[in-house]
Parts: sequence; structure tokens; C-alpha cells
Amino acid sequence: SGGVEPARGELNHASVSTKKAAHKGKIKALISRKNLIDSSVVLKIIKHYQEEGQGSEVVQGVLLGLVVEDRLEITNCFPFPQHTEDDADFDEVQYQMEMMRSLRHVNIDHLHVGWYQSTYYGSFVSRALLDSQFSYQHAIEESVVLIYDPIKTAQGSLSLKAYRLTPKLMEICKEKDFTPEGLKKASIGFENMFEEVPIIIKNSHLINALMWELEDKSTVADKHELLNLSSSNHLEKSLQLLMDRVDDMCQDIVKYNTYSRNLSKQQQQKHQYLQRRQQENTQRQSRGEPPLPEEDITKMFKPPQPPPRMDTLLIAGQINNYCQNVKEFTSQNLGKLFMAEALQGNN
Amino acid sequence: MSRFFATGSDSESEESSSADEIAPKAPGTTFKQSLLLSDDEEDTKRVVRSAKDKRFEELTNLIKTIRNAMKIRDMAKCLEEFEQLCRAFLKSKNIVDKEGVPPFYIRLLADLEDYLNQLWEDKEGKKKMNKNNAKALSTLRQKIRKYNRDYETEIAAYKENPQESADEEEEKEPGDSGSSSDSEGEEGEDGVSAKAFLKKKPDASADASKFLKTAKGSGDESSSSDDEDDDGDWGSDSVGSGSESSDDGDGQGASMAMVFLKKNQEPEKSDKKVLKKKKTKKKERLEEEAEEEGGEEVEGGWEKVKGGAPMVKEKPKMFAKGTEINVPVVVKKLNEILQARGKKGTDRAAQIELLHALANIANENNLGQGIMVKIKFNIIASLYDYNPNLAAFMKPDMWKKCLDCIDELLNILFENNNIFIGENIAEDSESLSNTDQPYRVRGCILTLVERMDEEFTKIMQNTDPHSQEYVDNLKDEGRVCGIIDRLLDYMETKGSTEEICRIYLRRIMHTYYKFDYKAHRRSLGLQGESKSEQDQEESEGEDSAVIMDRFCKFIYAKDRTDRIRTCAILCHIYHHALHSRWYQARDLMLMSHLQDNIQHADPPVQILYNRTMVQLGICAFRQGMIKDAHNALLDIQSSGRAKELLGQGLLMRNMQERNAEQEKIEKRRQVPFHMHINLELLECVYLVSAMLLEIPYMAAHEFDARRRMISKQFHHQLRVGERQPLLGPPESMREHVVAASKAMKMGDWRTCHSFIINEKMNSKVWDLFPETQRVREMLVRKIQEESLRTYLFTYSSVYDSISMQTLSEMFELEIPMVHSIISKMIINEELMASLDQPTQTVVMHRTEPTSLQNMALQLAEKLGSLVENNERVFDLKQGVYGGYFNRDQKGGYQQNKGGYQRGKSDQKGGYQQNKGGYQGGYQGGYQGGYQRGGYRNQNQNNY
Repeated sequence: SGGVEPARGELNHASVSTKKAAHKGKIKALISRKNLIDSSVVLKIIKHYQEEGQGSEVVQGVLLGLVVEDRLEITNCFPFPQHTEDDADFDEVQYQMEMMRSLRHVNIDHLHVGWYQSTYYGSFVSRALLDSQFSYQHAIEESVVLIYDPIKTAQGSLSLKAYRLTPKLMEICKEKDFTPEGLKKASIGFENMFEEVPIIIKNSHLINALMWELEDKSTVADKHELLNLSSSNHLEKSLQLLMDRVDDMCQDIVKYNTYSRNLSKQQQQKHQYLQRRQQENTQRQSRGEPPLPEEDITKMFKPPQPPPRMDTLLIAGQINNYCQNVKEFTSQNLGKLFMAEALQGNN
Repeated sequence: MSRFFATGSDSESEESSSADEIAPKAPGTTFKQSLLLSDDEEDTKRVVRSAKDKRFEELTNLIKTIRNAMKIRDMAKCLEEFEQLCRAFLKSKNIVDKEGVPPFYIRLLADLEDYLNQLWEDKEGKKKMNKNNAKALSTLRQKIRKYNRDYETEIAAYKENPQESADEEEEKEPGDSGSSSDSEGEEGEDGVSAKAFLKKKPDASADASKFLKTAKGSGDESSSSDDEDDDGDWGSDSVGSGSESSDDGDGQGASMAMVFLKKNQEPEKSDKKVLKKKKTKKKERLEEEAEEEGGEEVEGGWEKVKGGAPMVKEKPKMFAKGTEINVPVVVKKLNEILQARGKKGTDRAAQIELLHALANIANENNLGQGIMVKIKFNIIASLYDYNPNLAAFMKPDMWKKCLDCIDELLNILFENNNIFIGENIAEDSESLSNTDQPYRVRGCILTLVERMDEEFTKIMQNTDPHSQEYVDNLKDEGRVCGIIDRLLDYMETKGSTEEICRIYLRRIMHTYYKFDYKAHRRSLGLQGESKSEQDQEESEGEDSAVIMDRFCKFIYAKDRTDRIRTCAILCHIYHHALHSRWYQARDLMLMSHLQDNIQHADPPVQILYNRTMVQLGICAFRQGMIKDAHNALLDIQSSGRAKELLGQGLLMRNMQERNAEQEKIEKRRQVPFHMHINLELLECVYLVSAMLLEIPYMAAHEFDARRRMISKQFHHQLRVGERQPLLGPPESMREHVVAASKAMKMGDWRTCHSFIINEKMNSKVWDLFPETQRVREMLVRKIQEESLRTYLFTYSSVYDSISMQTLSEMFELEIPMVHSIISKMIINEELMASLDQPTQTVVMHRTEPTSLQNMALQLAEKLGSLVENNERVFDLKQGVYGGYFNRDQKGGYQQNKGGYQRGKSDQKGGYQQNKGGYQGGYQGGYQGGYQRGGYRNQNQNNY
């Protein structure tokens, strides 16, 4: 956790950022609406995870800030407290309101603009995230969710991403129509469920100046986390998670398969029935009898309950996410390995 | 009809009343009557009566009972008697047709109807009635109404003129008002009317009356043993039938009925006698109630009567004084006794006593062995019959008696070579008396002995196995075996092949499960301690193995029923297995192909099969063939119902699934305790076998996604062990095995050894084997070997190379042994290594896929199935192939998969190939420079 630790001591100043992170943020093209994040927010999130998150546990919190022109500036945040099952009567909303009121008292931005969440090996695409982001975006249009990946950060590159639901997904969620047909009509796939919003981490000039000064004085030895060659652990974990998701996917597909088979079978039955009925009616007509009354076809053939497809979509999105992670990681690692080989060769 | 009465005189009444009382009763008549009649001393004087006479007497008797029942308002009884009356009346239809409906009958019908109507009107009284009575009342009312429709005119006539005959009227008065104590008088008058009626009938011929007398005599003689008539009675059977035909006047039907009637009486005779004895000592008037109870007792439970002294007194009365006792007489008597067999009211204990008495008489009179054999047969048969219930078992005294009897019977049979017995000898072709010819007796000694054996099993099943009683009972096994042996000798000379097969099987059944310590000791080369003991040993006879062999082979050759052969084979295998003759046992099992069709056998044979398989498995284990042991025990143990499958107890949880009837059947199938196979031993053997197989396998396939469990039960035990919150030192056998497994997983054979073989396990399991020491040695050896394998599987990745010397020291195995184990592992491609001969080391090749690679393989597999599923969705949508993949692509994919699946099917080779390919690519890409790796790759790819 080299990238994080030096920041810790100076957290009181709450304005130190790693240079690299800031650099990375700037490179990104600012396509639509960009997020401007104060470095103090980043540090607070990191601190929150360091203190409370363990292993696959997830920490969450609220982002505060304001919209300026076409960009969203996130200037502050506070964590959701970890609460156990014991105090079930803990009111989260109450806590948030209380917190925001208190912040206003000290003249800090108190407008709710989204939330943040930590992640474990990039697994965050879940129903829970979708639901809460939907409610945020529904209530506060400009809300974003910040996903912080502590593991990647620990490996040397700060990983912080802002996501929003696409308007299409918002519409579907509003209608709560997760049937295969509904999703098809909306022509939504796992690729266009979330949109990533570019972020820029911004320091005040004073802080930048301080950083430069500190760097000279710093006694902390250079860390080589970046060049660590070991890869199997990370890959194994990712593969494990990937495999679990693939299993889920398999199950979903099987479910869908049975559904569509049942559906087509029923369609066939329905068709046969209608044909028979028609034949009978023509016969009756020829004999001069009144035709049989039309019965409610839908009652006779209740279509099977279509399996909700949203979960499948989410799983696909998650798998995509994992794959991206693995790809990114392996390509980096390959580069490192070649570098190492070259070094060895030279020696 | 009135004319009969009009002309009837009273002069005969005295005699007729007594005759009336002696009259034989219909099969269902209560004992009350039989008692009454024996009270009467005059009844000894009897008169000659015709068939009609008898019939009507029967009717009057019934009527009397009905009237009595009416008086005490016992509707149930009334109904019962009425039904009997109707039947009796129907029987005497012949006579009635001729004579007209007897007036007393009509009178009863009329009275009864009136009485019932009256009762019916009396709402209060009806309410007071108990349910049974009320029900009977309504039934009876309906019945009589229906019945009386046929006799309307007669009844009407009677009602119009009830005082037609004076004595009838007289009779009626006391009948209505009299108390139950009045029955004597009433009875008399009933008789009068009947008699009066009878009198008019033209008297039967002398012949006919004589016939009647004799026919009836056999029914009556027991109640009046000093009657002079009895002399002639004994031979009456044939005489009776002869005279019957002469009795043309009454028609054939009646005489037929007569014969029938006579036979019916006989069953009751013994009861009657017993009761009579009891009764004579009591006062006449008091008895009325007591008798009734007594009668009921006899019907309900036989025990009370059995305890009574009168039995002893009975004996002398078997035959009348001065009767010349000869064979036909005894046979007749025997038949008479036997006819009571199986009847409801028969006192079985008394019957046995009677038969014994008869045997004694026959013996005293030197009637010859033929008759003795016959009587013995019947005694034993009635001993078996003693318990009406199939589930109940013999009382100890009965059992002793039974054994004695069979012994005696066998004695007779052995002493007299000229007795032929057989179940197919017809009753009438028996020859019992003629000493010139060989005796011929009907009966099957084999069946009796088989039944005895079954009874023995039943006794053992029903005795608490942990009591002294069980031991005592078990001591009889020697006797049972002795009897079977004797019979076997007898049969070998006289019996047919089938019979010999059957008795052989019995003998086998008593032999197969016993361990032959004598032969065992001999085979070990241990001589008896002293000379005398040795002699004794030699004189004791041949080994059970030889006996089994001889008997079984005879059965294989001669038996024609499949069942006996199957049983014999199974017992033979069991015996082989018990004595550690593994190969014989296994070959016999395989050759017999019993495994294929045993499921069609009946449950007891299946139980025997299960026992045999278990014994076979245990035998394999003792011989160190762990895999065979495991396979043999797998079926029994994996179900978790070993106890039930072996017939050693019922499982509680099945209680709700079966009803009481099934439970009884299952109980009857249980194997007696002394034949049980120790279940803990069985489980321990199974678990230890599973451990020796499973632990190395688990170590070898730690990362294999397709790993299958060898033994589910073993895994279950492991999981149970893991779930323990606190792991103390092992207590039970299972815990020991689990602890040992854990140690073995680490390759720690010493700890494993100490868990498997220690004080506790010795006393629980290992000491139960006959060759304890050898088994333990084998076990230690196996533990060492398998621990070595496990160690190599688990830790090979840590080593670059390892010296065999070190391994040999670590596992205390000789170097050649280590060498052979490692070679085997290398050949089987379980271990990627090679042996370096000069330095005696194992060089690891490190070609096992890493966990990451394993994971990737798994993922690939999963993705494969995912794609497959996805395609199926497409197929459904498109109807045919198409969409995503065009045909060619799909083919290519399938091909790929085919190759992959081949890998799956032949586990090792294909899989390795696959892996080799993968590794080749991997290593080629990364460390192509490594010579060893490259070499290995080539090797593998070519493979």
C-alpha cells in the first residue's frame, strides 16, 4: 500500500494527492460531463477503506459537491457508518441528514451528488448497486457512483472510476420491465448499461507547491510495487470470481432455455387448439349450428413466467468487467516480464 | 300337522326327554348344553332314534337356547342361535318335506317375532340395551320378518289356535315366565313335543336304527365311557357307511348329512370331556352361571384348562374297559383326535396330552413300531400347531418336548430298518400292523426337522441376545445340529436326491457361519497341547471346509430347485471367506453370476447374499486386497442401512414407511444374534479401506475439477470430523479413522498408524479377526505405502529431487519397495518424475500444472458448457443450426470438443495429452530455453 501510506500522516491537511493519480486524471478526454474531484475526497475514501474495509468487505459513503457549468465538482464526502445487525433501528437516512446539516453549519458543501463504494477485484456490478444508483439518479439527476478499487491501488496505480446509468437503463428501471422482450425493445446490452464519466482530480496550487517541496524532503525510500512480477495470486482470484460468474451465467442460460422451450411448446399447443376450434366451427357452420363461443385463450394457455433478464445482464456486465481487469493486468505483467527478461539478458 | 299332537301320548316323555339331552349338537352349540347333558345320569340310557329324530332334537335344542336367550334379553345370542337354527332347519329339509314343518318350529317363529316386536316397541328398554344387543335386535327383527314370510300360513294358523295342543300350551307358560333355572323342565317339555311329533313317524327299520346308534355312538361314547354300547363303536366307521346305504327310506341326502354331522361333533369331544370332569364335582343348580364362564374360558384361552388336573384322569378313559386294543382301534382313535386339529375350539394342549397318552397305550400294548411312528409324527405336528400365530415362538417346555419326540422318532427309525415313511404314501395304503411286510407310514420326517429348525430360529430371534436365556437356548443348537446330522445319515441311505439336498442345505446353514478353530489351528501347524487333546482333535471329525465342500458340490450337481443351489453357493462362499480362502470365494462368486440376478431372489436369500458379500469384503481386507474389500463393501455401506440389509435389526426411521404387517414380516427375517456380523467391524474395515484408497487419490487430484469421490461415506465422515468445533482426542472408531486420515493426508504415517492400531481399536475391531497379528502387520504395511504415495503427491512440488534412501527411512520401507512404488507411480503418470539410478534419487519434472493453470483449464471447461448452452438457445430460436456460428465453424468447434471429451473419457492418457499440449505452448512461449522442459514436452506431445 505504498501509494497510500505516505498520504496518511498528512491526512490532517487533507489536501495531498499522489502526483501520478492527478496526472492520469488529466490525460483522459473530457467527453460529456466531467467530474472534478477534490483530492481530499480521494484521500478520505482511501482512508475509509483502510480503516474499515477488510478483504471482500465493502465500504460505502456519500459524496457531496455541486454542479458548476457542465461539470460536477465533488468536494467532500463522508462514510456510512458500519452498523451491525444489533442496532437494527439505526436510521441511515436520519444519519445522512444529520451529517449534512452539521456540515452546512461549518460551511462545507452539503449538496448530495452521489455515493462511493469500494470493490473487491473489480466486482461491483450487482443488483444492489443498480438499485441504489437508480434511486440516486432518479432523485438527483447528476448523481454518480465512485468505485474505488483498493487492490489495484495497493499495486501502485490509483483506481477510481465514476459511473452513471445510461438513460436507456434508467428508463427500463423506471418501468421495471426486465422481461426478455422489454430488454430487447430497449436494445440494451451489458456494454451500454453504465457509462463511465471521466474524472479529474484537482489540487489547489498551494498543495501542488507543497507536494513539490515535500518530495525533495521525503525520506521514504522509492517503492517498486509497480514492478512486482508476481501475478498468479491476483490472476487466480480473478479467475475464481470469473468462474463463479460464468457458473451463474450458465444457470441463467439454462433457465432461459427451458423457458423458451416451454413457450414454443405452448405456442404450438395454442396453435393446434385454435386450428381445431376453427375446423369445428366451419363444420358447425356448414350444418347450420351456431359457432362455439370464443373462450379466453390466454386463460387456457397461461404463458410461462419469463425469467427476469436483468440479472443476466448484470452478470454479463460483471464478466466483462473481470475480463477487462484480467486483460489489463496481464498486459501490464507481460510488459514487466519482457522488461525483466531484457534486464537479465543485459546482465 | 296338528294330528301328530292330537294323537301324541305322554307316556314316552320320560324316555324321550333323556334322549333329547343326549342328542348330538350342531357344530356351534354352546358348552352349556354339553354340560347339561352330562349332568343327567339317566342319559346313559339311550334309545334308538331315526334320522328325523335326531334332526328334530337338534332343532329343539336350538330353540331352547333361543328361548333362554330371549329370557335374558341377550339379543346377540338370539341372533346367533337363530341363524344356526335356520341352517339346521335347512339341513333337515328332507325330513321336513316329508313330514311337514314341525309345529314347535312354527311356534318359535311366531313367538320370536312377537317378542321382537314387543322389544322393538319398548323404546325405553331399547335405549338401555348395549350397542351390540341393539344392533343384533334390529338385524334379527329384519331377518325373522323375512323368514316368516315363507311360513305365513302356518304361523297364522298357529296364532289362531294357539291352544291346539294342551301340552304345547303348558310348555309355553313356564317357558315364558320361568327363570333360567327352569330350563331343565322346559327342556323336557320341548323334548316332549319333539318326541310326540316324532312318534307318529313310521318307525325306522331295525337296520336303520342300528346304524343310527352306531353312528352316533362314536359321538357320545366319550361322555359315557361305561356305556355298554361303546364296545361296538370303535369299528363303526366302516359299518356306519355300510348301513347308511341301506337307509333308503330317508334318502341319500339325509344320510350324507348324518355323516357330516358326526364328523362335526368329534372336534368337540375332548372339550366336552374336560368340561364334564370339572363339572361333575359341582352342584347342579349353582353351576348354571359358572359353567357358562367355564365354557367361555375354554373357547377363549386354553391355558386355564391346561393347568387343570383332570387331564391325568382322562387317560384311562381313552378306551373303554375291556376293549381289545389293536392297531385299527388305535388308528381310529388317532384319527378322531386329529380331526379336531385346527378347529377353533380345540384345546391344543389337551390334544397333545391325548396323543401322548395314546402313544403310551400303543406302547404298552406292543402294537408295533409302525403305529408308534405314526403317533409320533402326529405329536410333533400338533406341537408345531400349538401356536396358532406364525410370529409366536415355542415355549421352552414345548420345545424340549419337541426335540425329545424327534429324537425318539429318529431312534425308532434307526432301529427299525423296515419302516418306510413318505409324504406321498396315501393314508389308506399305510401298513402299520403287518409285521411281515415293511411298515409304511405317511409323513415326512424331513419337513418336521425343517420346521424344528425354523422354530429354533424363531426362538433365537425372540430371545434377548444379551441375556443368560439366550445362551441357554443356544445350547440347544448342538442338539438341533445333532438331529440334523442323524437325519442326514438316515436320508443318505433312504431319501431321494431332493430330500438329501434339502437336508444338506440345513446342515450347511448350521455350518457356514461358524469359524472352524480346529482347522485353523491345524493349518497354523500348532499341535494340541497334550497328546490326548490331539487325539481328541483327530477324532472330532473332518474339517468344516471338507464337509461344506462335499455337501455343496452334491447340491450343485443334484439340486433342481434354484433356491437351494443359490443358498448353498452363498453359504459356501461365506465359509470360504470366513476362513480366508479369498480366491476360492471370489472365483465362486464370479462364476455363479449371482450378482446379476440376485435382485430377483426372495428377501431371505438376498440377506444371505448381503452377508456373503460383506464377509467376502472382510476377507479381502484381511488378505490385504484393499480395493476388492472396498468394492465388496461399497454397496452395503453406502446405503447407510447395513443393519437392515444384513437382517440384523430394523431401522427406526423406516417405521412410518411400513405398516405393522410388514414389520412383522421383516422381524421374521432377522438373523439370530449369534450369526450376526459385527457392524462396527464392518464399518471400520470399510472406512479404513476407503481411507487407504481415497487419501492418496485426493492428494493426486487436488486441483482436478473432475475429481470424483471414491467413497461418499468416507467423505461424509471427514466432513463430520471437520465440523467439530473442538477437536479432542478420538473416542469412537469413526473418529479414530478420521484422525488417521488427517495424519495420512500429511504423509505422517506414524501418527496414522497410532490412530488405526491402538488399544481401543484393537479391542473394538482388530481383535475380532482370527489372525489378528497378521492383519495388523498388513495394515501397517499398507499405511506406510499409501502414506508414501500421499507424501509424494502432496509435496513433490516442493522437491527438485529426493533420495530414495531418505524416503525409505522416513516410511520405514525397504528401498526396493520404495523403488517399486515410485516406479509404479511414474508408469501410471501419477508422478512427473524420473529415477536416477546411480544416485538412487527421484528427480521431479515439475510438469504438474500450477493452480493457476488448473484454474484456467477449469474456466475453459465452464466456458465450453456455457457456449454449448448458448447455442442451444439459438437453435431453439432459429429452428435449425445457424445464427451465431455457420456450419463450418460449428463443426470445428465440435471437433475441438471431441478431442477434449476424449480427454475426459480416458482419464489419464487423454487428459495428459491435453495438458501436455497446453504446457508445451506455455513453456515454449516462456521458457523455451529450458532443455528439460522442452524434452519433456516433446515426449508428452508424442505420447
